[in-house]
Amino acid sequence: MKLICLVKFVPDVDSYQYDFENNALIREKARLQLNPDDVCAVAFALRAKAAHPETSIEVVTMAPSVVTPHLQDLLRIGVDRGTLISDRVFAGSDTFATATILARYLVTRDYDAVLTGTHAIDGDTSHIPAQLGALLDLNQMSGIVRIDENQFSQASAVFDVETEDEIVTYEMALPAILSLTRDCPYKLPYASRKDLARDVSGNLCMITSQDLSFAADEVGAAGSKTRVAQTFTREYDKKGQVVVQTDAAGVDYVYQFLKEKSFI
Amino acid sequence: MRRCLIYLDGKALQDSIDLLEVARQIYAADDYWTTGVIMGLDANLAIGAFDSIIQVSLDQIETYDPLAITDVLVELQQTRAFDTILVPATPFGRMLAPRLAMHLKTGLVADVTAIRHEGEQLLAIRPAYSGRIMAAIEFVGEGPVMMSIRPGVFHWDRQTEKNTQMETITPDNVRDGRIRRLAAKAKEQTYDIRESDVLVSGGGGMIGHFHELERLAQTLGGQVSASRKIVDQGIAPRSIQVGQSGKTVSPKLYLALGINGAVQHVEGLKQVKNIISVNLNKNAPICSLSDIVVEGDAVAFIDKLVAKIEQEAST
Repeated sequence: MKLICLVKFVPDVDSYQYDFENNALIREKARLQLNPDDVCAVAFALRAKAAHPETSIEVVTMAPSVVTPHLQDLLRIGVDRGTLISDRVFAGSDTFATATILARYLVTRDYDAVLTGTHAIDGDTSHIPAQLGALLDLNQMSGIVRIDENQFSQASAVFDVETEDEIVTYEMALPAILSLTRDCPYKLPYASRKDLARDVSGNLCMITSQDLSFAADEVGAAGSKTRVAQTFTREYDKKGQVVVQTDAAGVDYVYQFLKEKSFI
Repeated sequence: MRRCLIYLDGKALQDSIDLLEVARQIYAADDYWTTGVIMGLDANLAIGAFDSIIQVSLDQIETYDPLAITDVLVELQQTRAFDTILVPATPFGRMLAPRLAMHLKTGLVADVTAIRHEGEQLLAIRPAYSGRIMAAIEFVGEGPVMMSIRPGVFHWDRQTEKNTQMETITPDNVRDGRIRRLAAKAKEQTYDIRESDVLVSGGGGMIGHFHELERLAQTLGGQVSASRKIVDQGIAPRSIQVGQSGKTVSPKLYLALGINGAVQHVEGLKQVKNIISVNLNKNAPICSLSDIVVEGDAVAFIDKLVAKIEQEAST
């Protein structure tokens, strides 16, 4: 089978900075990691390949070139091709423009399934997989917690989706877009010493706006349908709080408060 | 008159009806008409709340097929041209809304938590970058305004009953998304933190001691909830997570133990009447929202408070 994993490298949520003047994330300064849901997508693809060595895996990401080493790490653990869609003119793209860019590339590829994460921890819109479904005329399912490896074929996939109250098993015809969550049991393998030394640059492919024949007004802010008008830190109603300690007096204060409000 | 379409998710009908409040905030004093659309014929709860309801006859359409349901809504929009389309950000709504927006070539704002007007401009507010900041998003281009709305944030105050116009349609151009539901297994139902009056919530400071919260929750007749940090560590299930990436809750009493209270967490607290926080750092963001800040070790606090309550109860 031919699998495409669509992934995003995201800033470690506890380490990034935000440029409030320009309404942009300072990606260059952030420590990057593969988005947790996307880890599961790649890890499942590698499992499928381990079971069926004829499987090919291409990882596709749209990002500044700073992610290249991370993409190379994935090539070292068994991904066959890494594609970086990158161009300065893509900066400022909303999800509409981003999906348009990704779809323009994906239609040039031959695949049986596109594996993605469900949520990205930075944007958390969950838009891209579904928007790509619309553009590529593929069905798409989010929230996948397990894919049945024994029933994963060019014809169809059988998988579990977990919701609030149930786990539902679906069968979906392929090609389709399958979006996994970090609740999957799939983990990335470690690179062996030999793999770490391997030159994988030949398997890395860079795609620019020109390669995809975009006009300037189709991408970036100009090609977007939404725009961040302003950002602000939210002001909450501050309360005139009382500070106590965990000593007897403090505990007694809390106790009286709970009693007054009829919680005990 | 402006016209607003609201998608009624059959699995979250009340959350869907609450989107009427979003329509009210978008249009404020202007005249507007609300239409609810539901797959199937089970709109009972919504009758009387909307100006009109469209029930979609589902011959050979599966309600869980995002491709097929999108086709239904595309056809509806092509014939009726709504000005605004609102979708609850339920698991299905989050698959449906982006797909529909792409077909309609219009922008979409995800998981909206507030509406704001700046002059003529409509802004949809949502937390961004893991809830570190709030972003006000404007719509550019010509398509209908589309938003998915975070469940549990808006509440429709149903004061008057409308004489809802009912209509049943059978769409013509719906493709089969070729997905079949094979089986469903009910999950062990724990509890819904959105329904709890008292929540005892643990954050990063409770790693290693999270189970201790149960004692306090039991003593207070409440439930345990958790912050993102605890859930990401696999210590608690996602179903009890409070915050932007979890649930929005409105208990009468919220005890925040070892919770820092970044915007992403506080976003999940809506109209919480009483907040008590226990933290080693009395300047943690959550503390400024609290009625009482207990400065100190959370486990020691649990021990002492539970002992105090039990002792008082027995005398």
